[in-house]
Amino acid sequence: MTGLDVTKVWSTTQALSGATFAIGGGVTGLLGANGAGKTTLLGLILGLHRPDSGTITVFGQDPWLAGAEVRSRLGYAPEHDALPPDVAAHDVVRHLAELHGLPRREATSRASDALWEVGLGEERFRPVGTMSTGQRQRVKLAQAIVHDPELLLLDEPTNGLDPSQREDMLGLIEHVGVDLGMHVIVSSHLLDEVERVSASVVILESGRVVADGSMAELSNIDPELVVELDRLNEVDPAPALASTLQRAGLVAAADGPRRLVVALGAPSVYDAVRNALADGGYSIRKLERRTASLEDVYLASAGTGPPE
Amino acid sequence: MTGPGDDVVAADGRAQIFEPGYRPYHGIRLGVSHSVWALARHTAERIMGLKRPARYKVLPFAAVAIAYLPAIAFIGIVALVPDSPRRLSGFIPGPGHYYAFITAAIILFAALAAPEALCPDKRSRLLGIYLSSPLNRSTYLLSKAIAVVGVLLLVTVGPPLLLLVGLALQNLGPQGFGAFMGTVAQVFGAGGALSLMFGAVSLAIPSLTDRRAFASAGSLLLMLGSGAITSVIVFGLGGPKDVLALSINRLPFELALRIFTLRGLPTGPQNGFVNSAPLSTGVVVGASVALTLVAAAVTWWRVVGTEVTR
Repeated sequence: MTGLDVTKVWSTTQALSGATFAIGGGVTGLLGANGAGKTTLLGLILGLHRPDSGTITVFGQDPWLAGAEVRSRLGYAPEHDALPPDVAAHDVVRHLAELHGLPRREATSRASDALWEVGLGEERFRPVGTMSTGQRQRVKLAQAIVHDPELLLLDEPTNGLDPSQREDMLGLIEHVGVDLGMHVIVSSHLLDEVERVSASVVILESGRVVADGSMAELSNIDPELVVELDRLNEVDPAPALASTLQRAGLVAAADGPRRLVVALGAPSVYDAVRNALADGGYSIRKLERRTASLEDVYLASAGTGPPE
Repeated sequence: MTGPGDDVVAADGRAQIFEPGYRPYHGIRLGVSHSVWALARHTAERIMGLKRPARYKVLPFAAVAIAYLPAIAFIGIVALVPDSPRRLSGFIPGPGHYYAFITAAIILFAALAAPEALCPDKRSRLLGIYLSSPLNRSTYLLSKAIAVVGVLLLVTVGPPLLLLVGLALQNLGPQGFGAFMGTVAQVFGAGGALSLMFGAVSLAIPSLTDRRAFASAGSLLLMLGSGAITSVIVFGLGGPKDVLALSINRLPFELALRIFTLRGLPTGPQNGFVNSAPLSTGVVVGASVALTLVAAAVTWWRVVGTEVTR
């Protein structure tokens, strides 16, 4: 799935502004604060709206022009509570399976299978309105996977769940993405949630894509070397070492009296740090390479405070 | 308790229940037409309260029963009265005049059916999930229209058809196979036209709201209110009789009478009211087409403009 310079405006609100991204297989997190444009982007992927400018392709097709064909390969669980309360969960899931092209008999058996898969086997004939929030979220997930889609779009799947339910839901998402082999896009404003289940991430901020790529790639942006030192003759060593390294042309800063952070711009940085440590007679307590967390990436990319 | 994915082996090891559980699907996937039909069928079941608690069945089944009762009564009378073809000809209405007995049932059923078809999807926001399937807004609306019109056929075609068959069996219906089949065609034509018109009008009001009660009340107000206002203008104030074509609870039945090649309804006090000149067929047909198209356009415009994600 790719998007090139995608823009979408709702009345006076610019939901997406020149968003460019590429999403491959596996579980991808769509991360951004409330109002960043995540739900709008999902709507464009589904072909529910047409971008005001730019192009977006899903499975190599324009979802606005080839909506039926694209959506037949997608599963979608919206953010809001979207299920009829007076209908049994099994009937809801079976009905939606039929809408996605499954013959009635197959839809009936797969509805049961999907509900068992999400842990609602025993409750599948209860009306949705009698279920807890967590159970309704599972029903939404079941209706999204019942027809075995290639790509699953989950919009805030842990919305309204308590910590225990959240953990269960994230486990289900991992199971769907890893064990069942579906590609998943999880839209969320929760950093730890995205970090937990996603192999790659697209970060949105005010309608712009500020970062996208695999978690491994993004965390290797701006890696650092962290050096912890013992006190040297009752003198705090870190500021002195930082000055030495700065004079040598490195980007280094003291992070406390005995802790130093050096930007790893090139492999030669290791040699420079080693030499400075040896020349200064410093005693090392700890020396480690530190990669960026998702929060660090978000802070660096978005330039504002992270989502929750 | 075991579930899918659990293999159960009999004690002697000879039998095994194999339930693979959730697995990839490699079967056939039917196209958009299957989706349209699936949604239409599901909606029709919802309208009639099927697969729902009993209280949801009361009103729709009562409306249908009211529509069939006069036909059953007339057939019973004909069956019980001796020498009924001679004694009752001219007393028992034919299918074309039957609608006068079930006007209220048709209007009530239409006012109940269409809100049930549209409003819950908007209120529960299920519309967003529907539009994430191969359906788009147009095919979604087509499904709903098929469901509403199809269900309305229960009260617009079924009762006069029942009356026709009942009378024919008692030798009171059209004489000859050709005449009988011609009348059957008229029943389907008139019933279909009534269903289309009432379906279009009754879908337009729910497209403006997500509350079923408001939509039903609005539909009834529109249909009955238009009749009251046009009656006041024409009968009370002596206005032009063509204004009666704006009466939504009159116009469809005027069209039905024309399909049966019967005289239209009275339009004024001149010539003793009953013999007053009816609306011209051109006015009736033109107004019927216009009403149906305008109502359908309103519904389409509202559904197409409904936001489902932002």
